[in-house]
Amino acid sequence: MNYHIEQQMNLSQKLEILADAAKYDVACTSSGVDRKNSGKGIGNCITPGICHSFSADGRCISLLKILFTNECIFDCRYCINRRSNDVPRASFTPQEVCDLTIEFYRRNYIEGLFLSSGILGSPDMTMDLLYQTLYKLRTEYHFQGYIHVKAIPGADPELIARTGYLADRMSVNLELPTAEGLNALAPQKKRPKLLAPIRQVRQMRMQNKNELALYRHAPKFVPAGQSTQMIIGATGESDWQIMKVAEHMYKKYEMKRVFYSAFLRVNDDSLLPVLPGGPPLLREHRLYQADWLLRYYGFGTDELLSEEKPDFNLLLDPKCDWALRHLEQFPIEVMRADYHTLLRVPGIGYRAASRIVKARRLGTLDYANLKKMGVVLKRAIFFITCGGKQMYPVKLEEDYILRNILDGKERLRPGAGEQPVYEQLSLFDDPRFSV
Amino acid sequence: MSSCHCLMIRVFQCEDTLTGILTGVYDAWDSRLGHEHVRLETGAYEDMELFCEYVQVPPDLDKAGKVLRTIRTRLGEEAYEMIAYASACPHTRKADAIYRMIVLGLRLPDGREISRMLTQPDVQLVFELRRKAWHIAHRYMGFVRFQELGNGVLFSKIDAEVDVLALIAPHFADRLPLENWMIYDRRRQKAAVHPAQKGWVILEEVEEKVLSEFENSEKETYYDGLWKVFHRAVGIASRSNERLQMSFLPKKFRHFMNEFADSRES
Repeated sequence: MNYHIEQQMNLSQKLEILADAAKYDVACTSSGVDRKNSGKGIGNCITPGICHSFSADGRCISLLKILFTNECIFDCRYCINRRSNDVPRASFTPQEVCDLTIEFYRRNYIEGLFLSSGILGSPDMTMDLLYQTLYKLRTEYHFQGYIHVKAIPGADPELIARTGYLADRMSVNLELPTAEGLNALAPQKKRPKLLAPIRQVRQMRMQNKNELALYRHAPKFVPAGQSTQMIIGATGESDWQIMKVAEHMYKKYEMKRVFYSAFLRVNDDSLLPVLPGGPPLLREHRLYQADWLLRYYGFGTDELLSEEKPDFNLLLDPKCDWALRHLEQFPIEVMRADYHTLLRVPGIGYRAASRIVKARRLGTLDYANLKKMGVVLKRAIFFITCGGKQMYPVKLEEDYILRNILDGKERLRPGAGEQPVYEQLSLFDDPRFSV
Repeated sequence: MSSCHCLMIRVFQCEDTLTGILTGVYDAWDSRLGHEHVRLETGAYEDMELFCEYVQVPPDLDKAGKVLRTIRTRLGEEAYEMIAYASACPHTRKADAIYRMIVLGLRLPDGREISRMLTQPDVQLVFELRRKAWHIAHRYMGFVRFQELGNGVLFSKIDAEVDVLALIAPHFADRLPLENWMIYDRRRQKAAVHPAQKGWVILEEVEEKVLSEFENSEKETYYDGLWKVFHRAVGIASRSNERLQMSFLPKKFRHFMNEFADSRES
């Protein structure tokens, strides 16, 4: 820890180092709180959140995402800031973070602050620095914008509690989906230790809900809820295991979001896998799709995957995949099916479903209406009837639908994965066959 | 005479603002020609039609206010928001669709249902325009970039396809109540101006030349530079994906965003 860089660093250099070090954190959402300005300070929050820019990798920049320090005492193998790496180190002061946040916020560059940190000295010391920064921002500068802060595992619960009253969202990263993975790659982090602050925040949020019911103006504790993130593809977990963990986090800990981050090999370490195809972005994409099915569509992990079929089909989105395996439940009559049944149709999202439910009370729908309401017909037509009629005569057969859906080309977000390439079959295509 | 009258359509040409359109709604209704004999248009069109009589409608706050009250009480806040947002979107048929939507809504036993009648083409159009306007306004809430002028005023320019000023000004007034700020819409030569701790107003016919006389404050270059450093540092090179960036943040929004200023010049 004594290898400091000689010369005094200026703010620009620090920002470069500490923003660069924070970029692997996925969460950059500013959603979930609605707060008007009190008229005496700076800032407000709106429920959907606001994206202020997009970085070169296409991710939204909503918050000033920085580490407080990257002078970390831990040596996690996947992390760029591990102790044994020779990277430039820097630390902010609370004042510097406040200046940056306020001045960026005034110019409408950002929606708030995302403050994470390496472990400087001890977890308590680090958490205290984060607390001081937030306290200064909230009380001295009367900053009322969004703040997302990391709860440092192992820090004094009292410090975490106090910080929680100043922040909008708190998060602890699970890092790896299973305890075994964590033991292998981050031996200094223990699963129970990671879960302790998550449990504490959940408990305090429940208490806070009761307080708020009694006293409307009671201080709010972590109003935008908790989130966490897992690295995908660094260890050998299956999608089923990952989704099970995510489901558990949503149910047991009332998480607002679980983020998935495709593994990037930033350190050359013998325990880390080499991924010749680059980071598993398509797999990450499928996990996010399934995550939405859990949160908004009423699906359970065990419906989508099982121990026998532990991974998602990379060619199909999880909902289509599910529907093809449950053709006995289709076709669905759009004019009559209830909201939850509509949600299960590929091509009908939750917005379209609620529009359908509202609109059909006031008039008969046809396929043109459905299209206008945002139903993706090229996927939905195989599974629905509207007014008792199919749009085209289509067969309710797995092979037929699969062929047509794959022909129709799913609109993946750019870069999420390439479409399958078709090629001429030959006798010698068998992978077991070698010349 | 009467048969001729049946054929004629009176076209009310209103100003392309919420006030203008609602005044048009008032006049069209007040003309008592029957709904099928009137039509609303925004702006003057070059290709006029036969059997049409064109009437200019000067915007009138009283008339618009009356219509507005009726919309809010009889059709509900949801419909009001739809109409207010839709009127900011450029579209040739929007004024007429708004008129038809109001007529239809007032016929319903419960006018509030109108905002959900998406099977009606007019309601559908207003709904779509509202969605479009909201999307663009929401994006500008994020993409507006203020510069600090020498006198401490925060100044921003936009060039929006939708008339977003009145849609985003309340947001910024709430967010920065202690700041003097101004957002200038270059395309419409309008500006939303907010003096500290006061309400915001819209100024019309503001020339761009007048605004270019002010110099930035000393700190401006410093924080501008810091933001560019941050923006560059936060991208992950091995996940680089310009197409995704472009789809979320198309070039039309980038013109006044400082983090993209360098790439434009090169």
